Amino acid sequence: MFETTKVILKENTRNLFKKIKETPVLYFLFTCMILFSVIVFAYSAYFLSVIDIGFIVSLEDVFFTVFFVFMLKTIADFHNYFVKSQQVSYSLSTQVSQKRTIFEIFLAIFLIQLIIWLSFSSLFLLIAAIFRFNIAYPLEYTFFTLGVIASVFIGGALSINFFSTKRYRLIPTLILLGFAFQSRTILFVVLTLPLAILHTSWSIKNGMTSYLFSKRKERIKERSQVKIRNIIKTQFYREITVLWREKLLFSFIFTSVVTGFFSGYFYLYGEEIFIPEVIRKSVDDFLPAMFMFLGVYVVIIYTAVFPGLNLFLNEEKTMWIIRHLPVENDAIIYGKTSALTLCFLTSIPFVPYISIFIGLDRIVFLFWFLIFSYIAGVIVSVPIGVKYVGKKSDIMLLYSVAMLLFAILGAMSTLGNIIEKYFEYPFLMYSLILLIEILVLYISLKISSKILSLNYS
Amino acid sequence: MITVNNVTKTYGKITALNNVNFNFDNSHVIAIMGENGAGKTTLLKICTGILPFDNGEITIDGYNIKKDSIKAREQIGYLPEMPDMYDRLTGREFLFYIGSLRKLNDAENRINEITKMIGIYDFLDYEIGSYSKGMKQKISMTSAIMHNPTNLLLDEPVYGLDPLTSRTIRDFIRNKKGTTVIATHSTQLVEQIADLVYILMRGHVIHFEEVSKLVSKHGSMEEAYFHIKDENNV
Repeated sequence: MFETTKVILKENTRNLFKKIKETPVLYFLFTCMILFSVIVFAYSAYFLSVIDIGFIVSLEDVFFTVFFVFMLKTIADFHNYFVKSQQVSYSLSTQVSQKRTIFEIFLAIFLIQLIIWLSFSSLFLLIAAIFRFNIAYPLEYTFFTLGVIASVFIGGALSINFFSTKRYRLIPTLILLGFAFQSRTILFVVLTLPLAILHTSWSIKNGMTSYLFSKRKERIKERSQVKIRNIIKTQFYREITVLWREKLLFSFIFTSVVTGFFSGYFYLYGEEIFIPEVIRKSVDDFLPAMFMFLGVYVVIIYTAVFPGLNLFLNEEKTMWIIRHLPVENDAIIYGKTSALTLCFLTSIPFVPYISIFIGLDRIVFLFWFLIFSYIAGVIVSVPIGVKYVGKKSDIMLLYSVAMLLFAILGAMSTLGNIIEKYFEYPFLMYSLILLIEILVLYISLKISSKILSLNYS
Repeated sequence: MITVNNVTKTYGKITALNNVNFNFDNSHVIAIMGENGAGKTTLLKICTGILPFDNGEITIDGYNIKKDSIKAREQIGYLPEMPDMYDRLTGREFLFYIGSLRKLNDAENRINEITKMIGIYDFLDYEIGSYSKGMKQKISMTSAIMHNPTNLLLDEPVYGLDPLTSRTIRDFIRNKKGTTVIATHSTQLVEQIADLVYILMRGHVIHFEEVSKLVSKHGSMEEAYFHIKDENNV
């Protein structure tokens, strides 16, 4: 009974313990960061509930954020554990009916999400209780839990039907989702749970059309681009081809545009929205500067850290290719890292979009800070990616790098503001800092090359 | 020519290769046989510079794999047991990628020639992610031989291939000059193309002999293999 569910849960648990055993320091850091994040979240909730600052985070906002996160995670998990999983072939070929096997996979994913939700919400409630925040909201908690359950069902249906030749089967869930976001009411989502269950059950019943779904993609048009290049260009071209075909470059540009727009908006109106009039004078220019910083930070995480880490993290089973070829480690590192120059170009749309709101007065600082942050992202992410080569995209690594970068960029943003304020020709100081940073980048890439070498004892 | 002197490789507490010695010379096709986990794949990976080892020395055409790693790897062609490649590249793009890294100026002609020979030419413009196991094996085989290496290291070279391609590969190996080392479980393949066979058991070489002598003594390579295994009580 439920053998497939048990196997998936067992494998997940063992993987977690194995990772903790292999990289205890990173996991300790990660646990600290999670605790810190939950404390900040609980404290903010407490702060907003007892002090009226004219800014309200509605329950619906939090609900839909949680709903959206769990839905995305379910889509990704179902894709990994079912749609593209070769291992499932074993259970699908037994006498157990295939729809039951798919259901058992879904059940495992459902249980994983529920455990995550219960763990995090319990931790939040515990910390909120320590802050003496009123946590007696049983009805709201029940609704949130039902919302998470609904998000898992909707995510499951989306995953099954998206990776299928019959994509029209997505329509019922998409209609449900459309109404949910349109109404923005928690009760609507909770009440439509039976419909979500119904469509997911039907999708599971017809789920085999999604299994190992792949389109054989012919690329005759790109044939003219195939030629012999030098080593650096070859690595660059390969990385860029994958980023292009995975449509990641578009997603980088989209993120830069959206982040630029919202950062600019909050730069201009953030104080009015978030800070009560009585204390507005005392916070001075802190909030606009913070929104500019956060905007750059988000763009850098997405366009520099994420691809920088993945240059090597994704090389799990393909490392044999570059390892057996007569290529210097330096050339591998420079070639792969050179692909990030194109990723940098995708971060530039951030500047014009934020400038719509903040004007051109700070354009030099903004450009300098974007370039500085981007290089800093590369300096930190490439050696860490090389160190953990083949470990795939690890959320823990990404989170750790993000936190490290937050501290570095926070300090540099403050320094940049001081330079802008007190130096007559800040451009010179900015250039000097960039030159020093390029030297650090060179050292970082050299260290990465050293890490990549085989460690003969 | 590949020489392996007193090489030891451990994975934690498990010893994959225990002080082994090989001399793969230029004039022979050499087969490495042994049970699962005997150390065959590990030996090939060490010789290609993919895996580090604990003790000993390996030279490829006189170049030390640790100290002159680049020169040593220039002389090698390698086919892994499970050829994982970049799924979003087409077969043609992957082969040109390898050709570029190997600095082959006549890559296009070589790729066309080899892929036509082993029957994958018509699928070169499809993404590798959509290939079957056999198709991946053919692309990987092309990447291993496109630079005419003097030393060819092949891990289960005909596994997953159709009969015609298997025969083409066997003929190619038989006619190729230089050193060819094959790690395989197939006694039939060893009988068909190998001149010498090493039998590995739990990281040790337990037997080494000419294939023709073994076959004439025991009737077939399969019988010879089981006889040697029994003799060594493993």
